[in-house]
Amino acid sequence: MTIAGPLGVSFASTIRRNRTLYRWFKPLSDWYANVAGHRKVGLKYDDLLVEERPDVERAIARLTPREQFDRAFRFKRASQCSVLHDNLPKDQWIKPEEDVRYLKPHVVDVVKEDLERAKWDNIEVKRTR
Amino acid sequence: MLAARASAARSASRIARNARKFATVVDSAGVKVAAADNGEPTTAVTFLVKAGSRYEPKPGVAHALKNYAFKSTDKRSFLGTVREAELYGGVLSSSLSREHLALTAEFLRGDEAFFVDVLSSFLTSAKFTRYELTETVGPVCEAESTAALHDPATHALELAHALAFRNGLGNSIFATPGHHVTAEDVKAFAQSVFGAGNVAVLGTGIEAGALEQLLQKSLGKFSSSASPSSTPSSYFGGESRIGAHHGPQTVFVGFGTAGAPAPELAVLASHLDPTPSVKWSQGTSPIAASVPAGTSVRPVLLPYSDASLFGLLVQGQTTADVKTAAKAAVDALKTAGSLKGEELQKAVAKAKFSAASAFDVRDGLVSTVGPKILSGSPASITDAISALEKVDASAYSKAASSLLKSKPTFVAVGDIASLPYADELGL
Repeated sequence: MTIAGPLGVSFASTIRRNRTLYRWFKPLSDWYANVAGHRKVGLKYDDLLVEERPDVERAIARLTPREQFDRAFRFKRASQCSVLHDNLPKDQWIKPEEDVRYLKPHVVDVVKEDLERAKWDNIEVKRTR
Repeated sequence: MLAARASAARSASRIARNARKFATVVDSAGVKVAAADNGEPTTAVTFLVKAGSRYEPKPGVAHALKNYAFKSTDKRSFLGTVREAELYGGVLSSSLSREHLALTAEFLRGDEAFFVDVLSSFLTSAKFTRYELTETVGPVCEAESTAALHDPATHALELAHALAFRNGLGNSIFATPGHHVTAEDVKAFAQSVFGAGNVAVLGTGIEAGALEQLLQKSLGKFSSSASPSSTPSSYFGGESRIGAHHGPQTVFVGFGTAGAPAPELAVLASHLDPTPSVKWSQGTSPIAASVPAGTSVRPVLLPYSDASLFGLLVQGQTTADVKTAAKAAVDALKTAGSLKGEELQKAVAKAKFSAASAFDVRDGLVSTVGPKILSGSPASITDAISALEKVDASAYSKAASSLLKSKPTFVAVGDIASLPYADELGL
């Protein structure tokens, strides 16, 4: 899950750029997202990100208080589903349009900051004048 | 004798001839630029913005804006700014007063393009992200406020401002944890004050022309903005006592006036200042003789654009000593209006020296010349000195008596059970 950074490997941007590929993959990925089952226990895709990493922890801390509250609520509801060995009633499932990447932009920012810090830590200064 | 020598040798024109000259120009971005190159080994550029705590729409916003300085902008990140400035060997700093926010960069000659760009990118494209407020800006504000208010003198002056001016100038320059400042508040405040007309740029060790060119490049699309709104200051006065169990016992006795700061008050301050001019001696101020050992009396003169606060800050180890010293200080203040002859000349000379020496150091230049450039009034050392030279006995005694007629501002910080009350000092 966490190979190559907190978000894992993704070809999404490449596929989205190519219209033919996008038309082929879109139904497949919609089908997969539904089959994966996280929506049926009331979780969003970004809730599944591995959070036991310093960068993701920092990204979670950057959520608004409301987003953090909602995230904790979804986890509680999902663990209750796990106890009951059951899914939520269908009207409480996360709808595809609700399943937004609320955490990803923050994770991307944090990763960018860490990369920049590594760059400045290892920079070689050359005198130009 | 003193008068004759003062007029001949220390006249305003002679001082001004050797003083730094500031060329004031308005460049195309509408920002007032003043710079002087006197061959200093380093260059310093200060952006002075009318964004002090006086103009803040909500308590603590100005302090948060001050600490947002040099955080991420569209051009470079917070880390990038810090690391690049370190590579150039420069120092970036920001400071806040009740009326102005000063953003300063000090650096070696030749690096001005980078540092002017850092300063102006904060004005034009700062991001004001929410996480910077929670991760860095907020904790720094809290630490600064805690440290500053732990000092009884600073705390007493903060309380004195609140009593003396209530709103506007009375706003505290420190944000406390109780102030719920959000990043949106800071951003809205920044957008309202960061604009041509509210910003003056002061440079030392750099030619005005060169600085102007750099500003045109970096501030190119700088929008003009209206002067931040604030009600004209009026003076109220009052009494306040705060218990504190650290630091020296502190009493502040102050008087204020509304209106432009008068040079007579500077003369009064230098007359009462008990600091000796020669080491290991006693000053000739009327207060100096009656202050117990280990107790200090410091005249505080805080001139603002439309009001000024003058007072005496008394600090000592025991409350009895502080009471004795404060009583002496109040007595001296009450009789200070009848000053004439050589005594007055002495006080004027001392005031002239401190006004002139403020032009010597960069911090003094920013705090004395900066506000004048921002308000468009002439900012030369000649004006400052000649205004002091014009002070005569009648103008002085009139200013002193009208000052003492106002309601006193009295603040006691420390052991409030035994620190004196205002009426016990004869106020």
